[in-house]
Amino acid sequence: MKSYLIAILFMFGIFIYSCDEVFEYSPYVIDFEDHETNLTQKNIIALSLNNASDTLTIALTGDTHRFYDEAERMVNKLNTDFDIDFLIHTGDFTDYGIPKQYHWSNSIFSELNAPYFVVAGNHDLVSNGEEGYKEMFGNLNFSFIHHAIKFIFINTNSREYEFNGQIPDLDWLRNEINPGDDFEKVVLVFHTPPFDADFDSDLEDEFMNILHNSDNVLFATHGHLHSFNYSEPYSDGIPFVNTASVEKNEFVRVKIYNNEFTVDVIDF
Amino acid sequence: MLLIFKYINSTRKFISILLIMALIAVIGNKNTYSNEPNSAWIKHLYPDHYKVQFAGGIGFVSAGLGYDFFKERVDISYFYGYVPEWFSKEDLHSVSLQLTGKPFKIHLNSKLEYYPLNIGMFIHHTFGSEYYITLPDHYPEDYYWWSPGRTGGLFLEGQLNYQFKEPDQIFSEIGFYYRIVTRGVYLTSKISNTSIPLEDIFSLGLGIVIYY
Repeated sequence: MKSYLIAILFMFGIFIYSCDEVFEYSPYVIDFEDHETNLTQKNIIALSLNNASDTLTIALTGDTHRFYDEAERMVNKLNTDFDIDFLIHTGDFTDYGIPKQYHWSNSIFSELNAPYFVVAGNHDLVSNGEEGYKEMFGNLNFSFIHHAIKFIFINTNSREYEFNGQIPDLDWLRNEINPGDDFEKVVLVFHTPPFDADFDSDLEDEFMNILHNSDNVLFATHGHLHSFNYSEPYSDGIPFVNTASVEKNEFVRVKIYNNEFTVDVIDF
Repeated sequence: MLLIFKYINSTRKFISILLIMALIAVIGNKNTYSNEPNSAWIKHLYPDHYKVQFAGGIGFVSAGLGYDFFKERVDISYFYGYVPEWFSKEDLHSVSLQLTGKPFKIHLNSKLEYYPLNIGMFIHHTFGSEYYITLPDHYPEDYYWWSPGRTGGLFLEGQLNYQFKEPDQIFSEIGFYYRIVTRGVYLTSKISNTSIPLEDIFSLGLGIVIYY
């Protein structure tokens, strides 16, 4: 009888273990597969293995929220018709910040034949979304250098931190943007633009001062506003590119050549 | 006990632990008091059933108690659920309230009855400041339309009950149920998205129910 019980318990254990996907304990359980973790680092490595051409081609998207079908069509279009070096997602990769939505969005973007980098949006940080982001991608602030351009991704979703004065982390930004021998220009990526009410207004001036004083920012790109826009909001020579809205079947293609760049909105 | 005290770091967790203790206390069952005078009205306050559930979106393991109405055709159960840290990045404590309707009943024999298709709904609250129910003050009104602290869902269920006919049994019935569950946050994600696999929005739960 006892061995019978042990056998049943053992089989039930195997059953639960093998049915990892079938049973759900909570919508907030963060339990990604290995291929869904540490993606920023993995994509930086993948990008470093790419053959360098003279022109750098980048796709910009963002605010994909629950527009899964649109995002999938965009990825298919990029795979078939475009040869991009990598894709930048300017945040709101999820709508509710829940692990399942991280999984769904990543299942779509992982089909892209190019590396992809995601900065956290405010929606990605709701509930335990920040933990989900860290588990799937890594640090909220990160950077890498490609083609002598430093791409700096920074968390600017101040409202999610109750405007505590720490977000965005200006000390980190100052340090990253500081001109170095290994890069000539900077592309800054964030979700909430500094002129938005969700950005800490106490940090807005200093944020723009850092960008201005470093004198190396090629352009800044952000999301949050769901429509394409190219402007110089502070009239200080720093262009802002608001990524196009995926729900209107648009993405932005940026080509960078010799420290000059062009911006196109592409329909898919 | 140390384990229990480790989790008492908020009032709400404390209340939920008190509820579990109450659950354990009353599991002494209402039949124990049947011979005492003036106990008839107290008897009505004791739960009609206790449930233990595995998965189903409300905890790795959940313990619940509840009442039956309309000759066991409707039941309401209140659960406390727990997900150990081992399964996630953090341990999760939650409570949920479930309403189940059991429109169909099949008598398999004198002791076994089968409910082939129960339907139910639940609301689920996870403890922790990040799982807020009302939008905190640092957001403008209607900034987010959903509450991470109040999620809900629907389920379909099958249940098999065994009735103890012998006298002096502590339980009158014991049942086993299995259910397929989906949640509002998954349904709203699936809407207008053919790219989301249908099976991704459903999960399973298993449970045991004891009737007094």
